Amino acid sequence: LKIIFRATAQFLHAVRADLARPHDFAAERVGFMSIRAAIADDNLILFAEGYHAVADEDYIVDPTVGAMMGQEAIRKALEISLLQPVGMFHVHMHDHVGRPRFSPIDLSEQLKFVPDFFNVRRVPHGAIVLSHDKAAGSVWLNAKTVTGITEFNVVGWRTIFDFAASMFEHQR
Amino acid sequence: MTVRGDFSRQSFLGPDSERIFAEARVAIVGLGGGGSHIAQQLAHLGVGHFRLIDPQEIEDSNLNRLVGGTAKDVEQKMPKVQIAERLIRSIRPSADVRAAQGEWQTSDNLLKDAHVIFGCVDGYRQRMYLEQAARRFCIPYIDIGMDITKLAERQYAVAGQMIVTVPDGPCLSCLGFLTQERLNKEEDDYGDAGIHPQVVWTNGTLASLAVGAFVRMLTPWYDDAGRDFEWLELDGDNQLVSRSRQPEYTLRRPCTHFSPHDRGDPFFELNGLKKGEDLK
Repeated sequence: LKIIFRATAQFLHAVRADLARPHDFAAERVGFMSIRAAIADDNLILFAEGYHAVADEDYIVDPTVGAMMGQEAIRKALEISLLQPVGMFHVHMHDHVGRPRFSPIDLSEQLKFVPDFFNVRRVPHGAIVLSHDKAAGSVWLNAKTVTGITEFNVVGWRTIFDFAASMFEHQR
Repeated sequence: MTVRGDFSRQSFLGPDSERIFAEARVAIVGLGGGGSHIAQQLAHLGVGHFRLIDPQEIEDSNLNRLVGGTAKDVEQKMPKVQIAERLIRSIRPSADVRAAQGEWQTSDNLLKDAHVIFGCVDGYRQRMYLEQAARRFCIPYIDIGMDITKLAERQYAVAGQMIVTVPDGPCLSCLGFLTQERLNKEEDDYGDAGIHPQVVWTNGTLASLAVGAFVRMLTPWYDDAGRDFEWLELDGDNQLVSRSRQPEYTLRRPCTHFSPHDRGDPFFELNGLKKGEDLK
């Protein structure tokens, strides 16, 4: 099963612009992308359909990480998936060009909250990390099964498809 | 990579262009006069993955323009998708070609993962439906079509268009190409089989414009960032191609006909994954 994450260039530009905004105390910003999905033969295609910034007041102080969401941020994201038939992908950005990778802390934090989304909606959920020009990500197909996004497809006047490294690349 | 060959003569398209084309998945809906030209050109370019959809078999009246078609194919009532597949493989034997002889609505599994859809269909309503599918699956749509109108005895107007629309940009309706008036007229004329003139050189010109738009979309050969549609008009009588001025009068932004919330399969559920891939 290949997993394609597809978003428009205009959408990703807006997400990057939001994530680049400074926060009062957090070193970086985080948010959620809502996605819809389709299956074509041996491909699972995820379509970014909305962006939901984590509100300023929903960050908590934690100097050991770039940004730490509070429970309220996760509750709001769960509610979106509960009320609409969408999957939710946590997103943050690394401040460089080239392929980004999840840090070990990213991976361990994702394991704490992504599986909970399957309690509200049985669609793919996951996490994405952006750089200034590329992306990497992982998808949960159920609460226990996680795999890497195979291809990022940026759709626009210049259309790009990037066969991305999976979240596991850093372990090789 | 699926396609191997010497692409040195098109190396100006960029150092990664060979890889980009080899990895590209293109869907061509309609493999008649326009689509067959497009399939042939994309194979020459080195495109690696084709999804071909057309319900029809070749007829004698298609031989005036269907690239790759032969008299023997007419005798054998060869499906147009098979002719296109044969043509592609004769140029690039290792290309990945998936073909469906049927209406595209019953073969949309071939559309969903495409990077670009080429629409070579007849009629405004079919274009409307196909662009809807392109928007649902967030795919750029490149449309070609031509028309020959009898103006007077022995006097004809030959015209055509090549239009590119992309998700988040204006659609065929926003541009003023698809109008209620045109859709109504088409419905009123439904069943009027008549003879719909088509000629090889005009089909070929429009197909070349479409392939050029595709190449420009995928490679950095020409920097025209900031655009979000293209509408080229062919004046076949004077052999002129020009940018349509219609959007100057009718273009509406942002697009109100399609929403990102309409993307994907509305009935999607993880149970739809193939057996063994739903790792419960």
